[in-house]
Amino acid sequence: MKGRLDPQLVFLVLTNVGILAAGAWASGGVFIDPYNLQSMASQVPELGLLAIGVMLAMISGNGGIDLSGIALANLAGVTAALLVGGMISADDAPLLFSVAFGITAVAVGLAGGAVNGLLIAGSGLTPILCTLGTQLLFTGLAVVLSNGRAVSTGSPAPLEELGNGTFLQVPTSFLLFIAVAALIGMGLRFTPSGIRLLLMGTNPVAARFAGFAQGRMLVATYAISGALAGLAGVIIAARNVNVKWDYGGSYLLIAILIAVMAGVKPEGGHGRMICLLLSATALQLLSSFLNFLDVSNFFRDLAWGLLLLFFLAIIRYDALGALTSRIGWRARPEGAPAAGDAATKG
Amino acid sequence: MKKFLLAASVAGVALAGAAVELSAQTKPTIATVVKISGIPWFSRMEVGVKAFGSANPDVQASQSGPATADAAQQLKIIEDLTARRVNALAVVPMDPSVVEGALKRAMDRGIIVVTHEADNQRNTNADVEAFDNAAYGAALNERLAKCMGGQGKWTSFVGSLGSRTHIQWVDAGAANAKKYSGMTLVDEKNESFDDANKTYEKAKEILRKHPDIRGFQGSAGNDVLGIGRAIEEAGLQDKVCLVGTGLPNPSAQYLESGAIDAIGFWDPRDAGMAMNSVAKILLEKKPLADGMDLGVKGYEKVTVKKGPGQGQLIIGNAMVIADKATYKDHLF
Repeated sequence: MKGRLDPQLVFLVLTNVGILAAGAWASGGVFIDPYNLQSMASQVPELGLLAIGVMLAMISGNGGIDLSGIALANLAGVTAALLVGGMISADDAPLLFSVAFGITAVAVGLAGGAVNGLLIAGSGLTPILCTLGTQLLFTGLAVVLSNGRAVSTGSPAPLEELGNGTFLQVPTSFLLFIAVAALIGMGLRFTPSGIRLLLMGTNPVAARFAGFAQGRMLVATYAISGALAGLAGVIIAARNVNVKWDYGGSYLLIAILIAVMAGVKPEGGHGRMICLLLSATALQLLSSFLNFLDVSNFFRDLAWGLLLLFFLAIIRYDALGALTSRIGWRARPEGAPAAGDAATKG
Repeated sequence: MKKFLLAASVAGVALAGAAVELSAQTKPTIATVVKISGIPWFSRMEVGVKAFGSANPDVQASQSGPATADAAQQLKIIEDLTARRVNALAVVPMDPSVVEGALKRAMDRGIIVVTHEADNQRNTNADVEAFDNAAYGAALNERLAKCMGGQGKWTSFVGSLGSRTHIQWVDAGAANAKKYSGMTLVDEKNESFDDANKTYEKAKEILRKHPDIRGFQGSAGNDVLGIGRAIEEAGLQDKVCLVGTGLPNPSAQYLESGAIDAIGFWDPRDAGMAMNSVAKILLEKKPLADGMDLGVKGYEKVTVKKGPGQGQLIIGNAMVIADKATYKDHLF
């Protein structure tokens, strides 16, 4: 396993390089000038964070998925803007406002995610139905709190820096995204909790008999997913100066597409952070490339749909390939070693 | 794997081939970004953008917009066009507040920004509005008063009480109706939520409650359709007057039957041309002056004043009030 390159990773790297090259050629270089690279990089984090949330939920297995991400991100942004904006003036105390805003938004996200986890683990609700329900709940709450209007956060210096600033030519929000992704990726790969999560996703029955605290792990997983949504809410606020309940309605499916393109198995137990990052950037590159070419946005929806089906097929194909080349390795009763394998890949 | 790569590279080359003309552009580009593509309103606007492009061969004019009604998708298009370094953006924001950040980044990059339907937009060089809202409301009501002969009870509909322009229209209408001592406003500002069925139910209730009602003034695009259906079913086409915002194609049936007496609107084709015209003026570094002619019907003598931000607010006189005899001039 160690000696063999992951085809998903190779494919994603080639896709990224290919689109960059095609874009550079077609636009006479404008596509890869620093401004566009920065512009594309700063568009990635909001969607990327939501996709990590979806990935974590998928890894937990048992049909795990988080549909409430963008709704929770909007709720977190709206709540934090109203709450913090009501107590602290963004003009008088920009640093205090920004920090309080960030903490509140992430806390709301964490709480919302924990609600998801408690419902799924506690009452055994199917994740897809549960998070569909909480998605509507979160959206509704955001509408009620804000009366359906956009809430302004203003642009206090630290938030402005997060939204528009760069560090060594790299957008700050992108750096934050990479840092968070690295942290979670290492957690998945090196910590006992991370490895247990992969194992639980691979075979929930075995995990139960092995004495895993499944309930607590589910709650923690969905809570982290929620906190990531809250962080996405902070980035949205930092970039747009305003937060609104209906922002990013199309993000839900795109976040799932990023996760599936990254080779995260919908049946659980497998997902690599490096693939997720490359998948998020590939989708952003392709999206910007189509905008550079003035291609109709209806074509984009079609392309997304095709990509989703295509990658689902690849996952299926690879699973089959692995089965035929190494007979017996992935047979269900021995799910645990296969997952341990996945875990070492991180 | 090889097959996938082959397919992917073939697709990539095909797409890139389609884009070679992109790198060959030297003319200034004006990119119009609408709320959503593919709906009649913005298809009509695209007619205007294309017409502007062929009338002005020295600029490159194009229109794009998201396939779904999502402010985030519109934002991404604006970001990418900014990175592509178009010379001017003409934006009809899905939500003016959400695009403030993106428009500011575009302006910081030296791109001219023109907006439409966003008189509260702060980060714009110029916002173009088709007409003064109060004048439009008064004009609709004047048409209603003419139909009612200045006599009888009338009521008004708004999309929702939170919809700023609708409230401005009906308030101006109510102020206009005060000129006629015989006109009485009853149960004003019914909420229709721009839903023809809900409006229909509400209009039926009003017809029952006030059997002697003689006039309706609608605001949202679907109001006239719902009220028109209620009037037609009650057989009151000749007795009850109905005037409101509406589009020619959907309203045609009720205009013909007489259920709707007149519809008011502005033509998105002309609005698209006016936005592009303003963008071109700004690209040529010419000033915007009060009373100037944008060379577009309804925008021959525009009012220019200071907007809410750094930019200017340009108000045309492009309202169209059409009835059975004239709606066919604006079929869209």
